[in-house]
Amino acid sequence: MIEVRGLTKRYPGRTVSRNAVDGIDLDIPEGKLVTLLGPSGCGKTTTLRLIAGLERPDAGEIRIGGRLMCAPADNVYVGVHHRPIGVVFQSYAVWPHMTAVQNVMFPLQSGQKKVNRAEARRRAMEALEMVGLAEFADRPAPALSGGQQQRVSLARALTREPEVLLLDEPLSNLDAGLRDRVRDEIRAVQQRLGITTVFVTHDQDEALAVSDEVIVMDQGRIVERGQAQDIYRCPREEFTARFMGISNSLPGTVEAGGGAEETAEITLAHGRLRCLTSGETTVGSPVNVFIRPESLVLSRKDPSGRGWKGTVEFSIYHGDCWDYHVRVGDTLLRSRMYREKVGLSHGDPVFVVPEEETAIAIPAASAAAS
Amino acid sequence: MSLLSRSRPAPPPTLARPRPPRSTAGIRGWFRDPRNILLALVALVVAYLAIVPAATMAVASLQSQFLSTGPVTWTFRHYTETLGTSDFWTLVGNSFAYAGATAVISTVIGFGLAYLVSRTDTPAKFFAQIAAMVPLIIPGILNTVAWALLFAPHTGALNVLLRDVHLPAFDIYSLAGMVLVQSMHVTPVAFLMGTAAFSQMDSSLEEAALASGAPPLRVFRTITARLIRPAIMSAFLLMFVQTISTFEVPQLIGVPGRKFVFVSKIYNALQAFPTDYGTVGVIGVFILAVATLGLWLSRRLSGAGAAAQTISGKGFRPTVTELGRWRWAGLACFVLFFVVAVALPLLMLVWSSLLPGYEPPSVSALHHLTLSNYREIWHTPGLVASVRNSLITAVLAGAVVTVISALVAYITVKTKARGRGLLDGLATIPLAVPSVVMGVGILYWYLTAPIPLHLYGTLTILVIAFVTIGLPYGLRYIVPGMAQIKDELEEAAAASGASWPRTFWRIYVPLLVPSLAAAFLYTVIVAFREISAAIFLYTQGTQVVSVTIYQQWSNGSYPIVAALGVVIVVFLAVIVAIVRLLTRRFGLNRQG
Repeated sequence: MIEVRGLTKRYPGRTVSRNAVDGIDLDIPEGKLVTLLGPSGCGKTTTLRLIAGLERPDAGEIRIGGRLMCAPADNVYVGVHHRPIGVVFQSYAVWPHMTAVQNVMFPLQSGQKKVNRAEARRRAMEALEMVGLAEFADRPAPALSGGQQQRVSLARALTREPEVLLLDEPLSNLDAGLRDRVRDEIRAVQQRLGITTVFVTHDQDEALAVSDEVIVMDQGRIVERGQAQDIYRCPREEFTARFMGISNSLPGTVEAGGGAEETAEITLAHGRLRCLTSGETTVGSPVNVFIRPESLVLSRKDPSGRGWKGTVEFSIYHGDCWDYHVRVGDTLLRSRMYREKVGLSHGDPVFVVPEEETAIAIPAASAAAS
Repeated sequence: MSLLSRSRPAPPPTLARPRPPRSTAGIRGWFRDPRNILLALVALVVAYLAIVPAATMAVASLQSQFLSTGPVTWTFRHYTETLGTSDFWTLVGNSFAYAGATAVISTVIGFGLAYLVSRTDTPAKFFAQIAAMVPLIIPGILNTVAWALLFAPHTGALNVLLRDVHLPAFDIYSLAGMVLVQSMHVTPVAFLMGTAAFSQMDSSLEEAALASGAPPLRVFRTITARLIRPAIMSAFLLMFVQTISTFEVPQLIGVPGRKFVFVSKIYNALQAFPTDYGTVGVIGVFILAVATLGLWLSRRLSGAGAAAQTISGKGFRPTVTELGRWRWAGLACFVLFFVVAVALPLLMLVWSSLLPGYEPPSVSALHHLTLSNYREIWHTPGLVASVRNSLITAVLAGAVVTVISALVAYITVKTKARGRGLLDGLATIPLAVPSVVMGVGILYWYLTAPIPLHLYGTLTILVIAFVTIGLPYGLRYIVPGMAQIKDELEEAAAASGASWPRTFWRIYVPLLVPSLAAAFLYTVIVAFREISAAIFLYTQGTQVVSVTIYQQWSNGSYPIVAALGVVIVVFLAVIVAIVRLLTRRFGLNRQG
């Protein structure tokens, strides 16, 4: 539905050497919700704005539904208002001088395919109904809460039945509780309408929750893309692993497996561990092993003999779980325990037992390169 | 610099200092807290400054006799007599036509330039911003003088030029001339208000309309123009009020053309003998009413606009409309504005300052160029003294305004004291009192007031006027600075055992230094340029420089006026540069 080739955007006068968007290629299939995920400044919002036509690229091509939207090389640029899109902005951008329903009617009355007032109102009401705001239709926009405004904004983006829905951090201005509700609403509406959607966010939980597919970006480039569960279970890049909050990272060497196999036996400083691999590891090659805190189990005894001996540095209570920082040799490991407190405190000796086949071994590319 | 935007950041919703328990020691306890004494003192001073001039004016308009030994009775006679004459209504007509046309022109140009600068990719924006700032540096009286020289009926440089190309000359001594000169002078203020309004507007509101399929022109009409409308109305009203209450254009341009407006009428009535104080009072009260109404409406509108705009969340960036080939038209607008509002008047001043007697620019005149006028400045009687008077009064007024503003800002922003809203209101009253009314009111008061000090004829009375006029501007700089200082900083000082005066001195003053310095220097500029009030308050020996320029002009000493003007412009430019450096260097965001 959306095809992007070699898209590049430079910001004039920036001192950073990297482009804001650095030659990315994208294919977003019809009817899917694809998330652009990355830290701030990674180029995700710029990519979305380029697709919307709110920015002009310096190079590359964008097609929506097969039609060329822009190609600077051929001097093609379709204006924002001629593109079959709907946009939801981070700041809602609900027009304060109109009521909720007037906001939603606007695209029908001002867009390319105009409809008469009554029809516009009927369809706007339908859209408001869909986001659960029918009863607030005649409220002036400033009298709506943040969450309501964001839903008005969603309804407005959908009324003229665009081919593509573009969401720019639509949840980040909302309170925590509201965020989940609006998020679920967006996903529900998107699946009901089957509309192709690009969703920009910096929050990995949000991305995992709503996406058919996640595209991880950094420094204007695509790091990796994949199904939400694959990205979560077994990221192929160190950047993704770190961004997903997998905080323990240990250097190791492939002992056996790897290659075509899904798992590999890795030797670490403290012992051996069977890890997931992305299939690009060969026996003897160096890897970095990423272990989730919840995959490190603590116990006082070590009946299996696989445990790593360490000392508790400190613990933090989160309500539903405990975080322990354990020193093993000269590395500090984080472990998360969902069980009731094992009664460990500073200085206690403890065994760290890593779970098999949940840690991820990623080729130590950066180490090899340097 | 718009004095109207009410976007004062609200104090953070943290605990403010609890008020001392009222029950304990009654009145004594109340007085034991230095903050309360301060509040009372500051409120008294501000109330005195803000209310006395306007009130005196109103009283004078209701008394049968003023400044006379005879018995005084209360009467509406002045009102019935003045309002009953057709002269008065001609005056109203002239004044409204003059101020209305000026307000329309300056608002249109100001907002047009502001749009080009903040929302389009027109090149050379920096240049436009500078161009828009320069007229602020040129005092109104000098701007007026320069235009009078440019368009003098026979010898004006531009009229000579027009005649050379067989076009009719433009008579500056007319309503149109007044409008032209005043518009050029106040457009920068409209420009600044416009820039503020456009930059406060979340551009995703416009992007959302584009993304809804609306073509750019329709977006401009249905979204941009609609959202900016309150700001435009507010700017229009402010320009109107400002125009209707200043002295120099009506007197220097209007009077020779026999076009009287309120201000020139008041001035000339006070010069006449026997002076009709009652009529002056009536006209004064009338402008006061117009100005107050205009300012009140303007504030309401900009308040409503701000309220509507703040609903958009964070994370907005200004987007720029690409004008394509039209950017060069935008650039042409910048250049035209620069030439007309900045280059022409300044060059005219410089040119005239280099000639022994005025003559229009020509090759033959080049032979007469001389610096003798600059030397002459030192030998013209009273000139050096008036510069000294201006410096003394401006610096004193700046210092007093800075101190009062800092205290008022502290009380209104940082305390929960009762009546702080009233104090805030009092301190902004001077905005609504036209400078002319201020001048006449202060004059009347100190001529008649039953106070032991005889301030009439001293520099003190000028300082009082400048302080009153400068107060709202001082607050404008200090209140945001104060709002940025978190309450915790004061609380931490108190928790460290510091007394309140010590806390103020060690915590607030150092953190506020940039705002304080900016407020001080800006007040100095305002006071230095001031003539509308000063013209009523000076006496022999207490002339300030703006008044001297007016007198020298009336005597026909154009070259001296021009030379002095050039010196003043350079001096003010330096101060303005310092203010900008200060506000930029320290930002207004020391605390994020």
